[in-house]
Amino acid sequence: MTPERFETLAEAHGGAVARWPVAEREAAAAFMTAQPELARQMLGRAEALDALLDSWRPAVVSHALMESVIAQAPRAPVRAAVAWIWRGALGTGLAAACAAGLMMGVALSGATTTTAEATEPVSAAMTSYEGLTDTGGAFTTSALEGQA
Amino acid sequence: MDAQDPDEALILRVAAGDAAAVRALTARKLPRMLALAQRMLGETPEAEDVAQEAMIRAWRQAPKWRPGAAKFDTWLHRVGLNLCYDRLRRKREIAMDSPPDRADEGPAPDRGLEAADVGRRVAQAMQALPDRQREAVALCHYQDLTNIEAAAVMGVSIEALESLLSRGRRALRVALADMVAS
Repeated sequence: MTPERFETLAEAHGGAVARWPVAEREAAAAFMTAQPELARQMLGRAEALDALLDSWRPAVVSHALMESVIAQAPRAPVRAAVAWIWRGALGTGLAAACAAGLMMGVALSGATTTTAEATEPVSAAMTSYEGLTDTGGAFTTSALEGQA
Repeated sequence: MDAQDPDEALILRVAAGDAAAVRALTARKLPRMLALAQRMLGETPEAEDVAQEAMIRAWRQAPKWRPGAAKFDTWLHRVGLNLCYDRLRRKREIAMDSPPDRADEGPAPDRGLEAADVGRRVAQAMQALPDRQREAVALCHYQDLTNIEAAAVMGVSIEALESLLSRGRRALRVALADMVAS
């Protein structure tokens, strides 16, 4: 590598040879070994400008900006699917609850009818029981009397 | 083709809606996009807008990302720079209607240079560079892209990039001559 080429690279890419184009680094290292003093001068000039440029530090990312960017990222399809399933389950649950309520209503109304119908035989039984009691009372008394 | 793209796995996870990957990629790329926008536009609210818009375009691109086609970082830099150029064009159109007040040229001569003053001077010197030279310095010096990556982002040959870099850095040296050691 010629001194001119070394200087051109230092001017373009700065004083850190590690940041130079990969294809040039080996030849640059050979030049530095061959002409260390000249290489040091050229690199020193470039390093001084590098240091000055590095004194301009960019502003840090604010929390608000970070969160705003994250909020606009794509949502997980899995999460969306879970939400869909959850919504579905909720809907099914509500429908099931409605259906259960309806069935309960039907069952209760059936039971009421049955009870109403069932009161007739009960009253009939009660009537006959009352009759039996009356006659039974007489029967019992007479029976006891008979035993005595 | 370059070595394996270090962002590839992350961008694929982002496409799948992985919230942790979104956070990781944001932490990795948003500061880089903000820095790039600040180098190109100065430290303005516009730089934040550009950084945010670049990331939103990344989110949109994630499901369509084809591994191996290009490095994600290179693609993102191209997107960021396009957005910067849109803003610069708009700014120039406005400036032609009403020229802005002249920026502060630097610290008063009776006080020493502090770190923030040096940074401001450098920022001003960068803003005074022609766009393409500023872009070359921003990509290679500040964003640490290789010459091959920077040339690809800028759509120029490696030789043209080297020329832009040399001219840009020379202009910066002249602008900052009173502060450059040696």
